[in-house]
Amino acid sequence: MDNLFINLGESIRNGLSGMFSPGITDILMSVIHIVAILVFILLNVLWLVLLERKLGGYFQQRPGPNRTGPWGLLQTLADVTKLIAKEDIIPKNADRWVFRAAGVCVFIPALMVYAIVPFDKGMSAVDLNLGIFYFLAIASTSTVAFLMAGWSSNNKYSLVGGMRSVAQMVSYEIPLVFSLLGVVMLTGSLNMTDIVARQEANTWNIFVQPLAFLIYFVAATAELNRGPFDLPEGEQELVAGLYTEISGARFAVFFLAEYTNLLAVSAIAATLFLGGYLAPFGWTFLPGYVWLILKIYLMVFLFMWVRWTYPRVRIDHLMAFGWKFLIPVSLANILVTGIGIKVFESYFK
Amino acid sequence: MKSLFGEGLLKGLKITFSHLFSKKVTQYYPEEMPKLSPRAHSNFALDADKCISCGLCKNACPNRVIDLASVKDENNKRVLTNYEMDIQYCLFCGFCVEVCPTNALKFSQDFETAVWFKDDVKLHMYQIDPSTVKTIAKEESGNV
Repeated sequence: MDNLFINLGESIRNGLSGMFSPGITDILMSVIHIVAILVFILLNVLWLVLLERKLGGYFQQRPGPNRTGPWGLLQTLADVTKLIAKEDIIPKNADRWVFRAAGVCVFIPALMVYAIVPFDKGMSAVDLNLGIFYFLAIASTSTVAFLMAGWSSNNKYSLVGGMRSVAQMVSYEIPLVFSLLGVVMLTGSLNMTDIVARQEANTWNIFVQPLAFLIYFVAATAELNRGPFDLPEGEQELVAGLYTEISGARFAVFFLAEYTNLLAVSAIAATLFLGGYLAPFGWTFLPGYVWLILKIYLMVFLFMWVRWTYPRVRIDHLMAFGWKFLIPVSLANILVTGIGIKVFESYFK
Repeated sequence: MKSLFGEGLLKGLKITFSHLFSKKVTQYYPEEMPKLSPRAHSNFALDADKCISCGLCKNACPNRVIDLASVKDENNKRVLTNYEMDIQYCLFCGFCVEVCPTNALKFSQDFETAVWFKDDVKLHMYQIDPSTVKTIAKEESGNV
């Protein structure tokens, strides 16, 4: 049970290598990895959308969706069916191809992040040495996609929403990177597996880098455009922001990308700060990938809890908070971490 | 200084977390009917046995919604034979309920007044055939 998926992967690889040359086997294995990740994402998103609405309801003393199926379990299915059945509308003067491409361009980076997540020991699709760097590089490209959606709609609200999302995501990327830097300094590696291994040898990073975790959490909320930082779609001033002209199946893709991103960011947080696939208190009765999923869902719960608690902040407050508070604090965290490492090395080793 | 450390933020999180497990306030309307307050102005209910056909409700109505008919029985008492309300003109002011001397007309717990066809709007609250009521005149003619 512990190595279910690893053994499965090995047996598939052995079977394929009997039939094809090593090069083709590698390509086929990559395809299988992508399909497996896609299935994982789709299943989770199907459930996450309902979870978001259910939790949102519960946080406001409502029952949430409860009509479609038992406990509203078929709600997402009904919503997706409705969205797909809708007419595909492209505004008259929209930049057609950019408009069409935007949804895919938001989704692809979110999908690519999963390549480096170690779901269990030796169970990441690609074990990159520059894992975190890859994550940051890939995640930052989705900013362009949001601007594409905003610009191509040919709508003032969409454009302002897109511009806001760029301003917000670029600003909050800096504290996000700095918060991860603390973890990287402790480990001395950008490899996700190495970081988990270090947490296995010492303690979880959240206990040595609590401030970094907080900064990461806040910055990630802003990166995800989630409440209370969901200004790109602020209804009170922008109709629906960059989603104003997006409807039907295209909106479903954006929705999918949003939750894929949420899951990815949670997975990174769980791996870097909460010990990844490691079992807490030595409770190894559950396999590593189950622990990772539990930790991911803990992070998702935190994101949802925050979203359904706080009102939307004002855009200038958001920018001021990012530049005048989070960045200095994250820089200070790096300084303190550096001093701490030096002190520890010179006195305790 | 307090707000700098996010005390209010934590307080907010605490409140929503307690809501997560608290009883939900939502009414599951079609399955569970809400209990209307005693003074709610809802649909009308007529207790025809109590009605003395005095016509006060008819006179009290500002929109002439109510129409009633009656005959006198063998004891020379009025017996209600027909009671109708053109509910589409009703403004639910409640004067008719207020004025009723025997509390025959009341507001009920029913508030679903929507109907599918226009003709169904009229509320037929009580209707009997007037010829079934024993009247003095009838008895006299029977004796002859």
